[in-house]
Amino acid sequence: MMRWIFGIMLAVTGMLSLVAAAMADDAYPERPVLLMVSYGAGGATDFQARIVTLAAGEEDMLAQPIAIVNKPGAGGRVGWNWFATEAEADGYTLAAYNIPHFVAQSIKGGVQYSADSFEPIANWGADPAVFVVGKDSAFNSMSDVITFAKENPGKLTFSGAGLFVGHHIAALQIEKAAGVKMAYIPTKGGGAAAMKAVIAGDVLAGVNNLSDAFRAREAGDVKILGVADLERNDFLPDVPTMMEQGLDVDNASVNFRGVMAPKGTPQAIIDKLAATLPKMFEHKNVVKRMKAGGSPMHIMTREEVQAMWAKRQETLSELLKGL
Amino acid sequence: MTCIQRLLPSAIIAAVGVWVAYISYTQEPADAFLFPRLIAAGFVMLAVWDLACNLLGASVPAPGMDATAALNLAPGMLVLLIYIFWGAKALGFYTATTIAVLTIQLLYDPAPRHLFRAWGRRCLITATFVAVMYGLFAKLLGVYTPKEFFH
Amino acid sequence: MEFLYYFDEVFEPIALMLLIGGTIGGLILGATPGLSPTMAVALLIPFTFHLEPAQGLILLGAAYTSTVAGGAVSAILLRIPGAPANIATAIDGYEMARRGRGALALQLSFLSSAVGGVIGVLLLIFLTPVLARWALAFGPSHLFWLAILGVTIIGTLGSGSIVKGLLSGCIGFWLSTIGFDDILGVQRFVFHPVVSGGVNIIPALIGLFAIPQVITIFAKGRGRTDLEVARVASHPIGAAIGELSQRPRALAIGTVTGAIIGLIPGVGGQIAGLVAYDQTKKFSRNPESFGKGEPDGVIAAEAANNAMVGPSLAPLLTLSIPGSPTAAVLLGGLLIHGIFPGSDLFERHPEVAWTFINSMLLGQILMLVFGLYIAGAAARVAQAPQQVMAAIVLALAVFGAYSVQHSMGDVYVMAFLGVAMYFLERFGYSAAPIVLGLILGPIAEANFVQGAMIANASVGLANYFFSGWLNLTLIAIVLLSIMFPLVRQLRFGGTVGAAKI
Repeated sequence: MMRWIFGIMLAVTGMLSLVAAAMADDAYPERPVLLMVSYGAGGATDFQARIVTLAAGEEDMLAQPIAIVNKPGAGGRVGWNWFATEAEADGYTLAAYNIPHFVAQSIKGGVQYSADSFEPIANWGADPAVFVVGKDSAFNSMSDVITFAKENPGKLTFSGAGLFVGHHIAALQIEKAAGVKMAYIPTKGGGAAAMKAVIAGDVLAGVNNLSDAFRAREAGDVKILGVADLERNDFLPDVPTMMEQGLDVDNASVNFRGVMAPKGTPQAIIDKLAATLPKMFEHKNVVKRMKAGGSPMHIMTREEVQAMWAKRQETLSELLKGL
Repeated sequence: MTCIQRLLPSAIIAAVGVWVAYISYTQEPADAFLFPRLIAAGFVMLAVWDLACNLLGASVPAPGMDATAALNLAPGMLVLLIYIFWGAKALGFYTATTIAVLTIQLLYDPAPRHLFRAWGRRCLITATFVAVMYGLFAKLLGVYTPKEFFH
Repeated sequence: MEFLYYFDEVFEPIALMLLIGGTIGGLILGATPGLSPTMAVALLIPFTFHLEPAQGLILLGAAYTSTVAGGAVSAILLRIPGAPANIATAIDGYEMARRGRGALALQLSFLSSAVGGVIGVLLLIFLTPVLARWALAFGPSHLFWLAILGVTIIGTLGSGSIVKGLLSGCIGFWLSTIGFDDILGVQRFVFHPVVSGGVNIIPALIGLFAIPQVITIFAKGRGRTDLEVARVASHPIGAAIGELSQRPRALAIGTVTGAIIGLIPGVGGQIAGLVAYDQTKKFSRNPESFGKGEPDGVIAAEAANNAMVGPSLAPLLTLSIPGSPTAAVLLGGLLIHGIFPGSDLFERHPEVAWTFINSMLLGQILMLVFGLYIAGAAARVAQAPQQVMAAIVLALAVFGAYSVQHSMGDVYVMAFLGVAMYFLERFGYSAAPIVLGLILGPIAEANFVQGAMIANASVGLANYFFSGWLNLTLIAIVLLSIMFPLVRQLRFGGTVGAAKI
């Protein structure tokens, strides 16, 4: 008898909680959603995240605003560690991801996350790495750079925003493709600090974000020698890709930015977000602002992002094996 | 007494310094500990110097602690620790703040505790302050505390 | 004089409303513990999406100038520096408030902010290209020495004992290395999961300054505290202007130091106020009154931290290099409107560029007007009974520490550092060098590591860090900043400026 009652109670509770869960998912979101950005205010990721979440509050989007929280430190590791271990998987805490950064960091080790810790939702942007030199530099093409590097092994200093980020991957690929040894100088403080080092002549060259380099060139401070992507970029139609200059460098270093949720977030919520967010990124106000800011957009759905993550995992494991 | 009092903080700091130096010079990869090594050297040197000064009694006089002050601050310190390390998360920021602000006033208000007017004033100050904090942080700045006001 | 042609844009009704709104909002946000100018400006960015480019920038410019000045309010009244730039203000400002001269301290701080700010912006207007080149002269090795200088100055200045001061600076440096190493991503000194993300500056700043204060009030105990409540003398503004005009030296030193140091990317803004304070003390006729409520201290610090605002934007506007985090956020504000800063900014978008600069100029004046108005009312805060102050400061510290990145861990770190600091203060260690070490540590480390890598690929370590006139000058100043007070302390038997903050 007792067992019966217990069984019924269990069943009822189970059903109730199911119903409650379904209702909760239906009503999602009932309050503002947090989006954690693992870089500081003012950085490119923070800046773009603030723009692409602009339209979240509109009725046909999430009908709730998305608030940005910055947890900067150690090239994003602090924020993503927090996200993987402490963020509640209830759909109210999301994070921005940067590929290849977090995948490369998880391959290198020492962090508490990997691509399996997160559920991708949608991608909003893709910022390729470019190779820049100061405006008075003697280098005018990638072959000038490679020639110098061959004659002076380990002497060609070039900056980039940290280790195991897009810039570093591009640097590794260039060195590998040309078979030369150069001195990669990781800076702290994002692309801006790396760019400053190039403009001020602290280093001979640098790898940087296309968007930042584009602006610096507009300002007349740098020359851009090559783009580390599969094809030329709309912002820089005159700059050849690395491939065109005979260097076997693909798009593995392109900095993809998008939104993800922690593993364990209810499927219904993931589906709702995955359906809504790409629409939100296409909002005309968002597109206008992103274009104005020189931030290249690249909208991808959840399935496309999953495929891209898997591919990066493979390429980067191969590239970083020797390190 | 004062001599021991003064030595204690110096000794603790020196111990921390030695620990920092030990970690910096033994942990791998060495590249990540370049700067810690640099500062650990200065840290240990200064800490030993400071300790020596105290031992020889050559250091600049400092107020130190006395029994009255320790007794006075004990209840307040207790409220502070409970409020921060337990209350804020368990009870929610606003509830815990209300309780803490009221308790601290109660503990340190020179007015007699049975005086009705003093109670009125304390409650009013607490209510106004918490309302302002709620308006500023929860409503205006959109800071999401672990628990909102009522749940 | 081109900027004068664009002044009418600032006086359009909408622009003027934004300017006033930005100024008042900035003052309030600046006075809120935990909200640095960078965060305040970042919070305002979404509002600018709906505005014209020039209008958006007016709002941001006004907010930037007034948050820096607003930070002085909590520094003076509560001894919680609103931002690192206000640390020096807290030294004498809080002492003044404790002696019932809070109204005067606030008035002086806003007046000198305005003077420094206007001169800083004028420098930006007339000397932008020159300034920007000068800012670039600082490479990794120079920035490293500059960060060290910041700590040695405050270490020898802020505490009774030089050894304890420098030791506190080392502790600060060490605290800054806790957590992930920024470049290799290795965890260092993580003895508890709470610090696995490192010690965040703003919560540490709040904890180290505010909590000892709260406990000090506790330690006085119940009863008889009424006797300690300072009477706030209301102070006519005319008299404050008179007071300021009698202290031109502090004002001049503050403004000049702030403007020069503000230019240096990354390090400048943080230490401008402190270096100015230190210089003013050295050149003062009565240096022993510093730390005991000397108005010169407030004037120099506040003139410097607002004079730095204008020049700190020079590298951004001409070279597109944001020299500080706040400048990076402002860059975002420019970019969303499709405006790329660069040497030709003033030719391609003169209306936007000049309107922005003009708004900062007018913003200084408005900041002064509203600031003075607030000063009268806010000074009464210092008059609140001690037990109320303790309760309020404690709660503000908790909220401020939490709101930086919505983290309970930051609140725990804040409380731990604060309680430890109370006891350390009782034994002659001081908070300011710890905070400065914490702030400048990452800058020193990043530039050291980067410099070492460049050096290894080029001229060698010793050559890179110890040659060139700029390096040598900086090293000389570092050594002087240690030796000068040390010699004095030895000669006068340890009575050097018992400045305690």
